[in-house]
Amino acid sequence: MNLYLYCLGRNLVRTSLNAVIGVAGAKPYLLTCGSITAVVSDFAGDRVPVSRAEVFAHTRVVDTILTAATPLPFRFGTVVRRERLESYIEFRKDALHAQLDRVQGCVEMSVKILRDTGQATSHPAEEQEPAPAPGPGTAFLEAKRRESLGRARQKQQAEKVAAWLAGEMGTVVQESTVHVQPTEALVVAAAYLVERERLKEYRKHLQGVLREAPADLRFLASGPWPPYSFSEPKA
Amino acid sequence: MPDPDLELLEQSDLSLLETLDHVLNKGLVIAGEITISVADIDLIFVGLNVLLGSVETINEVLGQRTSGGAAESDAPESGTGRA
Repeated sequence: MNLYLYCLGRNLVRTSLNAVIGVAGAKPYLLTCGSITAVVSDFAGDRVPVSRAEVFAHTRVVDTILTAATPLPFRFGTVVRRERLESYIEFRKDALHAQLDRVQGCVEMSVKILRDTGQATSHPAEEQEPAPAPGPGTAFLEAKRRESLGRARQKQQAEKVAAWLAGEMGTVVQESTVHVQPTEALVVAAAYLVERERLKEYRKHLQGVLREAPADLRFLASGPWPPYSFSEPKA
Repeated sequence: MPDPDLELLEQSDLSLLETLDHVLNKGLVIAGEITISVADIDLIFVGLNVLLGSVETINEVLGQRTSGGAAESDAPESGTGRA
């Protein structure tokens, strides 16, 4: 029998899981491995179907743990044999404790910045350019040139937005990870580690930041999450 | 309660997308032990792009959200808005 893994923590309380159903309809339970406790459930197969029900079963269990403590969540779909889990924890014990210290008392908040497609993709200077010269070769090269220029401009804009956001968030967050995503829709994906008692302050601060943001950007703010972006030890 | 300045759009769809972005892209990994199957996928309106780790489709989903099913209600709150 394999184990499906939800998260790792310390001093977790089993009673909080009593009413929760996990992946594949199984009951989650605590498995103590030395000083670290894993939240797991029995899993008969070796592959987890990516269905809405199973994804939410995973998050339901981790979110239940999050109400009382901040765990290190596993990525969806982690299935191992018990011996493998025990050796993983034993081998990485110190690093896992350091990670648990890092996220203790915090939750993850997410901010994604999207381009307003109604405005961002239009570029008057290019739109007014004359049509490409006749001939398939020339047209192809011209299209490639435009594509390349567009990507470079998107990257430049994304980096600018990321720098602006980093400067605005200040000390209201404990840690942050910011990914610049120079794509057509998504510009920046940021995750913040925020102390639970400062969540109200964080939200108020973020709303102030968004009011001052460039007009052609849209925002997707969500949370609180388990610290998915802060689970792996720092490089 | 969302900020009135943040126009809340289809919270359930956004919650599902955000949930997928978190649980499929991030979190502790034991090397070689992620064995998900996309064969039984029922995340019809989300699309494979999200499953493969991109939220590139967020705007598309926002545009098509009336055709999608509602996500479960127990996901964290999500809000989107224009500054």
